[in-house]
Amino acid sequence: MITERKECIAMLLAGGRGSRLKALTEQVAKPAVTFGGKYKIIDFPLTNCVRSGIDTVGVMTQYQPLLLHDYIGKGQHWDLDRLHGGVSSLPPHSKPDSTAWYSGTANAVYQNQNFIDNFAPEYVLVLAGDHVYKMNYNTMLDYHKSVDAACTIAVIEVPMKDASRFGILNTAPDDSVVEFEEKPENPKNNLASMGIYIFSWHILKEYLNKDEQDPNSKHDFGGDILPTMLKDGQRLFAYRFDGYWKDVGTEESLWQANMDLLDDLHLGFEDWHILSKSAGRPPHYIAPTGSIKSTLITEGCEIYGSVENSILSGGVIVEEGAVVKDCVIMENSRICKNATVTYSILDEDTVIPEGVTAGVSREDGGKLNVYSQHDTSLETTKGGQAK
Amino acid sequence: MIGFCLSDPHPDRAGDGSPIRTLSAARFYGRYRLVDFMLSNMVNSKIFSIAMILNSHYQSLIEHIGMGKEWDLARKSGGVTFFPPYYADERRSVNSELDGPLQRAAVFLSEKKEDYVVLADSSVVYNMNYRTAFEAHRKSGADVTAIYTKKSIMPGERENTVVFTISEEGQVTGIGQAPLNTDTINVSLGAYIMHKRTFIQLTAGERNCGMFRFSRVLLADALERLNVQAYEFKGYSAHICSVETFFHYNLDVLDIDKRNSLFDFEGRRIFTNIWDSLPTKYGKQADIKNSIVADGCRIEGTVINSVICRNVKIAAGAVVKNCVLQDDTIVENGASLDCIITDRSVKISENRKMIGYRTYPVYIERGRVI
Repeated sequence: MITERKECIAMLLAGGRGSRLKALTEQVAKPAVTFGGKYKIIDFPLTNCVRSGIDTVGVMTQYQPLLLHDYIGKGQHWDLDRLHGGVSSLPPHSKPDSTAWYSGTANAVYQNQNFIDNFAPEYVLVLAGDHVYKMNYNTMLDYHKSVDAACTIAVIEVPMKDASRFGILNTAPDDSVVEFEEKPENPKNNLASMGIYIFSWHILKEYLNKDEQDPNSKHDFGGDILPTMLKDGQRLFAYRFDGYWKDVGTEESLWQANMDLLDDLHLGFEDWHILSKSAGRPPHYIAPTGSIKSTLITEGCEIYGSVENSILSGGVIVEEGAVVKDCVIMENSRICKNATVTYSILDEDTVIPEGVTAGVSREDGGKLNVYSQHDTSLETTKGGQAK
Repeated sequence: MIGFCLSDPHPDRAGDGSPIRTLSAARFYGRYRLVDFMLSNMVNSKIFSIAMILNSHYQSLIEHIGMGKEWDLARKSGGVTFFPPYYADERRSVNSELDGPLQRAAVFLSEKKEDYVVLADSSVVYNMNYRTAFEAHRKSGADVTAIYTKKSIMPGERENTVVFTISEEGQVTGIGQAPLNTDTINVSLGAYIMHKRTFIQLTAGERNCGMFRFSRVLLADALERLNVQAYEFKGYSAHICSVETFFHYNLDVLDIDKRNSLFDFEGRRIFTNIWDSLPTKYGKQADIKNSIVADGCRIEGTVINSVICRNVKIAAGAVVKNCVLQDDTIVENGASLDCIITDRSVKISENRKMIGYRTYPVYIERGRVI
């Protein structure tokens, strides 16, 4: 059944737990983690799709999908509620001959071949759900077509010292890929894969099916599909991206990416501001006792205390005498009277009780702390220093 | 129940000062329009079919409401139905009289299966569940239930305020103007509950009528033959009917009790359309006290006792006091404003100083560069 032919559709990998985010992803999948005050991480790839003219997106979910499904809805917040296509949530499901979880990134796409074939696309864009960036996929698709590639991989130059944390592509002068190294100890260059791939669908489909038969495969794009394609002499090309891009897969990188917004609010330009589901709260209020410096604040907040160098999400209350510094605070958290919180991430609905000091400042050599609503350390240390 | 919205033509230069927009599209509390409160009250009272009579300059109101998606009103049955004025006979010239939208609305009402009408004024701001008033209406057996609140009004409001005389039994026995020098009076919220038959009878022969005329003429004339019961609303309310009331009430809600009575009161949210503005960013030198700030702003300067709407930019060294700055206003370095209302996209250039007075705020038109 072909509903309507699409040239290119996107498949978004949103099933991962993001275990390096620890407590922040206990209740929600990584793509549903709050970012920049009023966004979820998944807003970035979804907005990029819409802005790039890609109106069909399959979101493959698995870990804690309820909130994510609810957030995505019918796609209305990104103008993705379409008559044909739009956004579809794709959790693993039972089929006549199998019932299986998604066992790897490639396997997730493999299990959704029918969904893809419904649109009979020529190209499939595979996206990760844990990156913050603005990118026109359409320009990348034009490049993919112009070099007649089987697969195009978006790459970004990272500092050489960080290169060993990424999948590194070694390329020929024409940017064709000659070697693919996953987290190499001694990287030969600094072109890091951004986890964004465009495949010609008929070729990818062949490799997905082949890979599925391989008992030694982990069914992963970076680890299995791409190396196999390269070995077979398929045309793999690197597509260079030079904008802002940040992997927010760890607590530290999530904090840093939030803080980056204070230097450069790269979330919006006239024609490419990030779309999101809004809670529709009233504007924020700063009391006569409140003070705010170098901070990003959004709707529903009430500030009676002092806030500096921080990112506050919707509905956060900072009570009188409270001090917030170098923090990323998620929805509906409350910093009670005379409490102090520094260099920390506060998960949704976290309460810092009256008089408590949480976190150690960066200047004093403190390490990033993450507090969540179930954190018992906060309750027991009333009036003192939390862990 | 069916919601029915009448709005008054603006008495002076409209509620947000703008001569080109209808009152119900005026800004309130940084991101809302007045009409949002009426629509949200309807939806929160489970009224999902709303008729809106339009007078003139209704373009921005229709743009704002659209299909009613943000109020959960984009529905297969029900939703918002607009009744704009138009020429009864298409061959008539532009100068001929307009057909009355009220007559068409009467047909619309009689075809609906719902029996009751909640009539509401879109220029009054409050948060209320009409269902409780409806219960009272049914219990009392009244022909009309008129919702009012006890409060004092500011001098500039007097001529646009409708006041009820209420008997000991709670019946409205008189509808008139506010007396001079009074304290607390029974102020109409411009909200009435009645059977649709009663509404159609009351408005028969009217081409179009605003809320003021409905109360002061149509209903006042019918007091002898109809049983009109009063129902008291005890929360906060504000009637925006002039530049002065627009200014006064926008700053009035800086008071926390009034804010709490308007937003999320008993779990009833106020809905509005969504712009996806960025969060507001405060700079290193920002100094802000007792103010409401919507999303999308960049604030580097000083802001005191003010309401700042979406996407406003205030440069370092600028001072904004007792102001209502509407969307996209830019205040440059060294500028100083006190008791000023700006409409959309106003720019205050470097070092300009402007001062109004609490009772005489200065209004700057849309798009003006000072």
